[in-house]
Amino acid sequence: MESNNTIWIIIRRMRIPFLVIIVTFSVSILGLTLIPGMDDQGHPYRMSFFDAFYFVSYMASTIGFGEAPYTFTYPQRLWVSFCIYLTVIGWFYGIGSIVALVQDKRLAREIDIARFRKKIHELSEPFTIILGYNNITHQIIDWLNREGIRVVVVDRDAEKIDALDLESFIPEVPALAADVTHPNTLKMAGIHKKNCQAVVALFEDDMKNTKIALLCKLLNKRVKLVIKSTTKTQSEHLKNLGVRYIEDPFLFISNRIYLALVAPNLWLLEMWIFGHILKVRHREELPHGKYIICGYGRMGHALERALKKAGMPYNYIDLKSAEYKEEKGSAVFGDAEDYKILLEAGVKEAVAIIAATKDDLINLTILATAKKLNKEIYTIGRENTLDDLSIFRSARIDRVYILERILAEFTYLFIARPLAYRFVRLLHTRDEAWGRALVESMHETLGENPLHFEITVDEEHAYALARELKKGREITLGSLRRSRADRSKTLPLMFLLCKWDEQRRELLPGDDLLIEPGVQLLIAATEESKTDFEYIVNNYYELDYVLDGKG
Amino acid sequence: MNTQKVISGFFFILAMTINFGFVYGDPANIQYHSAYELFAAIVINLIATILKLGDKTQLGSVLLATSLVADIQLIASASVWALAVYVLGGMNLESTVAVISLAGGALLANIVSVTLFIGDTLKSKR
Repeated sequence: MESNNTIWIIIRRMRIPFLVIIVTFSVSILGLTLIPGMDDQGHPYRMSFFDAFYFVSYMASTIGFGEAPYTFTYPQRLWVSFCIYLTVIGWFYGIGSIVALVQDKRLAREIDIARFRKKIHELSEPFTIILGYNNITHQIIDWLNREGIRVVVVDRDAEKIDALDLESFIPEVPALAADVTHPNTLKMAGIHKKNCQAVVALFEDDMKNTKIALLCKLLNKRVKLVIKSTTKTQSEHLKNLGVRYIEDPFLFISNRIYLALVAPNLWLLEMWIFGHILKVRHREELPHGKYIICGYGRMGHALERALKKAGMPYNYIDLKSAEYKEEKGSAVFGDAEDYKILLEAGVKEAVAIIAATKDDLINLTILATAKKLNKEIYTIGRENTLDDLSIFRSARIDRVYILERILAEFTYLFIARPLAYRFVRLLHTRDEAWGRALVESMHETLGENPLHFEITVDEEHAYALARELKKGREITLGSLRRSRADRSKTLPLMFLLCKWDEQRRELLPGDDLLIEPGVQLLIAATEESKTDFEYIVNNYYELDYVLDGKG
Repeated sequence: MNTQKVISGFFFILAMTINFGFVYGDPANIQYHSAYELFAAIVINLIATILKLGDKTQLGSVLLATSLVADIQLIASASVWALAVYVLGGMNLESTVAVISLAGGALLANIVSVTLFIGDTLKSKR
């Protein structure tokens, strides 16, 4: 019964108008049949119920065909003039109620909900539920749509949902304004559906995220959860709940800085997965030496851990943006006192300074002031929102960490490119020598700007290959790495990761590895060799030629 | 005492009794049956229907259904009457019996409705 709430609201609201119309009509009809009239020959007569019903029907609706069946007598007219006001008022009241109903907010909401339900019901592709619509999730939706993954959005704020509607995403993104921490909302968004793959909750409030994680786990055990958490205890709590993927932006940044300091090639590989070119620009090399951290909140602590682990000396300035603004009445860092603080922290000898407060303007001015005191210093800034990229870009900061962008990137990777995500995770278990060897061999075969893609060996994605494997033929990875123009040449292609299931996977699988049906591959390639590879695995003629030189 | 229940009970039972009053008498002779009574039965039945609207329970749905049946039967009965008088040129035995038996069917629906209503009232122990 839940789905036709709309009808119930209409019925409930229309009860009194209906009653009014029935009563006024019946009083008028009854009166007309009782009052004696006169026909055209002067004989007395009484209106029948049918005559009266007919007359009242057109009188009340103000159509007014005139007096029927005969001209009325004065007693009749007296009664009719009373009835006109009675029924017309009743009629207008009824019409007015319908008009009011159309504008009714609750009804509009019920209609929205019904439409949303219908859209969810009709979704047959895999989809992701995103809770909360903002800059981060907007970016994620863009990326996921490009991959052909459908998205459903729920946000408490109706204005945000309106804004989303105006974006007109393709394919369409069903959206609903509702309380995201309510189980019913999650059910409506289709968490029960078989094709619901993941739920994303990246709210500022950690408690809210945990609550959502708990609800989702209870409603659907199978669904992947992407939950933001910025503290260790919260993360542990989530892990106990069985949440597979916890996003802590500060931890991400801390890991990246550590990697960039200790193993620049691994760092480069990670950045490459996220779309960077496979080459470290000079400006991106983190210097080794003394670091200054400005801002000692959650991010400051994360940075401290990274620097400590990497064995870098550091100094921190405990600067809280909110307190600073209150004390000085401005969000511009850099008066005489601030100079002194920076000098005391050793800005002259430091090789790098990290501005990690919650306020973008303070971060910018810290870095500008530091540059004034030490021209050579390497500047690292934290940018909190995606709103205004241009200021940071024009401020010539050496490296900018945008929290929102990092969250969006990781979420996208986790949902849409699970193998690439796994590859990034595995990178952290390797050492710099391994990374350097891989980067060098990639440079050799693929150049400095390779791309990566994932493929599952099944009939949908690799038709010919999957068919051949089904027949029982043994095909090795290496045998696919041949040019379809000339099979004696190798195709510029590298297999980075081969995954059978959660437990069994191989980083950099060798050429002699036998392909099994259903296996997933992460491949680095050039634009051209990617197309070639897709031809080879999907087209029988190409595959036959590449494998045995026929055709 | 529940005013809502008094009002709806009043109309449900009145719908049945007036309906009975119209049907009662020789079904072959239209003079035993008053058009005013049929009119009253229709109006009261319509009001009873409106009162039953908006109750989402299982019982409410069945009550609404019985009322709708009664409405349709009574309106059909009145329509047959009007048709016979104005189109077919006067009441004959066939149309008279049709008018009365249609109203009789409505009476049956009303009896079911009232029985359900009373049954529900007895079941609730307050």
